[in-house]
Amino acid sequence: MIASVLPVISPGTLLAAAVTSTAASLWLLLPRGQTGAAERRSRWLGGLLGLAALGCFIATGHRLGGLGEETVFLIVSLVAVISGAATVVTRSPVYSAIWFAMALAGVAGVLLVLGAQFLGVATIVVYAGAILVMFLFVLMLAAPAGLAPYDRVSNEPLLSAVAGAVLLGILSLSIGRLTAEPPLCCRVPSKAVAITGDAAPAAGLPAVAAMSVDLLAENHVARLGGELFGRHLIAVEVAGVLLLVALVGSIAIVSRGASADGTVAPARRAVP
Amino acid sequence: MNAFLPSLPTIVALVKIGLLVGGLMTAAAYLVLVERWMAAWVQDRKGPNRVGIPLTKIRLFGLGQPLADGLKIILKEDFTPRHVDKVLYTAAPVVILAASLAIFAAIPFGSSLPAIPALGLTSEEPLLVAPGLDVGVLWVFALSSIAVYGVLLGGWASNNKYGFLGGLRSSAQLLAYEIPLGLGLLGVVLAAGSLKLDTIMDAQASTGVWFAFAQPLGFIVFLVASFAEAARLPFDLPEAEQELVGGYHTEYSGIKLLLFLVAEFLHMVTAAFLIVIMFLGGWHLWGVTGSGPVETWLVAFIRFAVLSAKIFAVILFFMLVRWSWPRFRFDQLMNLAWKVMLPLGIANLVTVATVEEFRPQLVTAVGEGWAKTVAIAIPWAVFFVGWIAAGMLTPSGTDNTPIRTPGPLDAEHVLDDPQRELVEV
Repeated sequence: MIASVLPVISPGTLLAAAVTSTAASLWLLLPRGQTGAAERRSRWLGGLLGLAALGCFIATGHRLGGLGEETVFLIVSLVAVISGAATVVTRSPVYSAIWFAMALAGVAGVLLVLGAQFLGVATIVVYAGAILVMFLFVLMLAAPAGLAPYDRVSNEPLLSAVAGAVLLGILSLSIGRLTAEPPLCCRVPSKAVAITGDAAPAAGLPAVAAMSVDLLAENHVARLGGELFGRHLIAVEVAGVLLLVALVGSIAIVSRGASADGTVAPARRAVP
Repeated sequence: MNAFLPSLPTIVALVKIGLLVGGLMTAAAYLVLVERWMAAWVQDRKGPNRVGIPLTKIRLFGLGQPLADGLKIILKEDFTPRHVDKVLYTAAPVVILAASLAIFAAIPFGSSLPAIPALGLTSEEPLLVAPGLDVGVLWVFALSSIAVYGVLLGGWASNNKYGFLGGLRSSAQLLAYEIPLGLGLLGVVLAAGSLKLDTIMDAQASTGVWFAFAQPLGFIVFLVASFAEAARLPFDLPEAEQELVGGYHTEYSGIKLLLFLVAEFLHMVTAAFLIVIMFLGGWHLWGVTGSGPVETWLVAFIRFAVLSAKIFAVILFFMLVRWSWPRFRFDQLMNLAWKVMLPLGIANLVTVATVEEFRPQLVTAVGEGWAKTVAIAIPWAVFFVGWIAAGMLTPSGTDNTPIRTPGPLDAEHVLDDPQRELVEV
């Protein structure tokens, strides 16, 4: 998008700049045991670098379509990315969990904008609604203020920042391929229908595109269910068995205190 | 057309959102008045009947009360205690209110309006903010689980033991009752074959059999679970006044407290909407509303009125229950969720799945009418069996004798209790 406006900067340079500044900003933002003015300075610098990195990444991206769709997509994806970074760099465990919830909400928003309604809502139900509430529960009970030293200093900040940024770069390279064509995964369903409707046979778009469009059409949940319980039946069953085993295992661990005849030895008994 | 002008669907959606949010806020204010009237009626007093039109002497049965209450609570000092976590303390009421309002994006508030060609609306306009959302029930479920965050954060950020205990109790209760709630929903979704709430209403209207009659066990489980999710008495442990002052909103005052209270009322309204839409036929009433597409404004209005009347009746039921039942103890609450509601919910789900699976064979074997009767009779048989089993096994019955650890003066109890000796050894 910006490549057309600024032909001087090639997309490759832009991506390299994005990856470098992401790594630097993450390293600056991560808690490294600094205090006072030094900490404040590195936070400011890291925040600015992070914004620059975000700008570079947006510039390497592709236009989605209509103005409204693009704005909404940009907002929810920015929420997801910024909250994801904040999850890692926040000092307090409770705030980390809250930022993680925000990141999940952003991801769910992205999925909803792209038409994957079931996945988006399931993300909220499963992660934000169940798992993360459990996390919060435990965090609030265990470390109310998050003052433990191992919470305040991150482990290997440089390596983790570089690894994360490089992974991000490789992913955006392999998904986006730095082409002028928007990647298949990022097409708005209505546009994708139009594209596959007339251009697919001629251009020979892969069958994956047709299938994903099919899944995102109306009666989306019914189609998804048919797909899951048709082509992927064994995977669904295996996952179900795995969950059942986990459930039985957790019950077995909890009831370890029971004696051989199945009665729990009473610690406190009702005295009549 | 100018790209910056909103398109017609956008305008329609905005109008619906405006109507819905305005209507819900007004309804919440007036439901507080109704609740106080109900309390007064149950307790044989007069209740609020003085405030009428301001600056006049006209009383109007106290209909001005919500306005006065609202003004008063808004004008109160918005006090933030020094020991709270400021960011989360401010965010918690916003989160809970936003989540409980966003739920209504997927909840229909009527059937639909007939086409209005003059405005460019050429097809029936469904009375639902997001008609394209194919996962309506899941959306409701997801956002009601987001509301837990408001409670949990409010309790934690208050940095107060009453608030914290209220938040923990509340989140444990909401998590426990989400499971029977989901099991109740699943039976309906299975029978209607859709996650869209308007399709579920259409399914009940077209057969004429409301799901409360077809799945009595699911209805009971869902009803109890939605009482618990709305944290209404007998499930109002999160803010048990006698034990926890105000629970998670002990430290809140002024407009922030108002947000919490409105959100609580909206939870009750949501529960009433869901009960009516999923189990009591939605806008359908035999012989009055018809079941086909909406052709005239009269039908649209009648359906809207029937739905609203049903919802109001369910809300009145909620309020009557509040003033006639004592509160559960926490162990009773958990026993009810895990030992009664969960097995009954699973029994309902299995019954519905079996009936739906063998319905085509049943129709070919005994004909349409008898198949319908059998499909209703089997769930009722399961309902009575489950009821009797739950009553005879009394899994929620608890030993109400006081628990105390034997002290030195209680030696005789220790001696004549063999198990106690074992523990001591």
